[in-house]
Amino acid sequence: MSDTSLRGKVAVIGIGLSAVGKVPGRSPLSLAAEAARNALADAGVAKGEVDGVLSSHAFASPFHRFSVAFSEYLGIRPTFSNTLQVSGATAATMFSIGAAAIHGGLAKVVLLVAADSLMTGLTPDLALRSLTESRDQQYEMPFGIPVANTFAMTAHRHMREFGTTPEQLAEVAVVHRRHAARTPGAQQTAPITIADVLNSPMVTTPYHKLDCSLISDGGAAFVLTSAEHAKALGIGKPIYILGCGECYTHEHIFLMPSLTTTGAVESGRRAYAMAGYQPSDMDVAGIYDCFTGTVVMMLEDLGFCRKGEGGPFVADGQMSYGGQIPSNTHGGLLSFAHSGMPGALFHFHEVIAQLRGQCDQRQVERAALGLVHSLGAGFATNATTILGTEGTL
Amino acid sequence: MAPEDSTRKPLPAPDADTTTFWLGLRHGKLLLQHCRRCRNVQYYQQATCRECGGDELEHRPATGRGKVHSFSVVHRAPGPAFKADVPYAVLLVELAEGPRMISTLTGSDPEDVTFDMEVELAFDQVSDDITLPRFRKA
Repeated sequence: MSDTSLRGKVAVIGIGLSAVGKVPGRSPLSLAAEAARNALADAGVAKGEVDGVLSSHAFASPFHRFSVAFSEYLGIRPTFSNTLQVSGATAATMFSIGAAAIHGGLAKVVLLVAADSLMTGLTPDLALRSLTESRDQQYEMPFGIPVANTFAMTAHRHMREFGTTPEQLAEVAVVHRRHAARTPGAQQTAPITIADVLNSPMVTTPYHKLDCSLISDGGAAFVLTSAEHAKALGIGKPIYILGCGECYTHEHIFLMPSLTTTGAVESGRRAYAMAGYQPSDMDVAGIYDCFTGTVVMMLEDLGFCRKGEGGPFVADGQMSYGGQIPSNTHGGLLSFAHSGMPGALFHFHEVIAQLRGQCDQRQVERAALGLVHSLGAGFATNATTILGTEGTL
Repeated sequence: MAPEDSTRKPLPAPDADTTTFWLGLRHGKLLLQHCRRCRNVQYYQQATCRECGGDELEHRPATGRGKVHSFSVVHRAPGPAFKADVPYAVLLVELAEGPRMISTLTGSDPEDVTFDMEVELAFDQVSDDITLPRFRKA
């Protein structure tokens, strides 16, 4: 590894969630501050020690400079800050940019934080409209294309090319619900069957309501610092950032190079290369699950199974306990919560908690290496992060 | 998002990059940009070729024929403006000239759309200035 590589240079020393799910009456800033206080307490770091803040914008907040508004709200004056926007992949970029800032000397202790109030602050209808209206005003919006539609067209094409079935997609939702049932605070925990998914109302073919992720309130926060400073602070179980990779292939769905092979192949390749590990080395994963078919395609593109075999892989139990890669053990966006930009931060929170061995009844045994893949905007944005314990350095 | 906006369908506002394109549609032509230097054919319209960066782009009308690369039938509208239209089929059409574009099906049952179905352009005048390119079964 070159001296400039981020591998192992930066550690996650604190993690925290706000109340998650249906949390009425709370602004995104209030939720973000709750998550941040929990993350700082978890790290044992005082807010005054934070000199960097990275965030993403919140649909239910008027503050475009969310990281700046947040800092004022928390009562800190950071000397490094930004509000990032690459859709669902933003969460991963908060980690990579935060790590790069620490490694490059721009900041010493960076707080990553995002929260939104899509369910009660904005309402589901307005949340979906906000997402729809962030698309091309000339070439897409006039045709009435819901946010689910672009993802649906990729899944539909996947079914056409590889024979992926509606039942296999539904199984993804079933597994997530089963995982969420073991997660305190998850938004949806009542068991569902494949038939329940297939009988739920059609949203946009091939996606039924239960193939689609939730709309939620809530946020998450993380504290990053250098590996050296983590040691100096006496952090018990620092979790290290071992690899990061991103890939941006298009903006418009009609310019997506392939509907069934995504930028996750390249973002994953880069992350594995930096980390010096392979897909088969991963013990646990967090895979952006905005829709069921998304998970199937990502399991393939990230190398957990071969292209086209994601459906049978899921149906065979390979993304759950005892399978090849236990994924989204918190229940994911499909059943734990999806509050927009913070969505993938919940995957980070879960994977880091797994690597720390803090997941009680849903703990993956001896989890030491974890992968998080976040993505957005109809696979326009992809970012992969590999995390590991001290023993994996 | 004022309430009066939510029930009206969004219409494109042509700009310097796209005025020729929308004018073409008014006159019954879907214009694609052909690069004289590298022969790339592109949709959507802009000042330079996205392949070679050259600015020798020529507008040529598409044949209007294509086939369905993928599709999704919308049952839950993205907002009040489209509620009366459901179910409608959003099509990702691969044009005979190569580029893909997104639009909706007109003139037949959305449930009858299939992969690789042959389609042809249908011009849908939605205002004095704007004609949207839709597709019907060929």
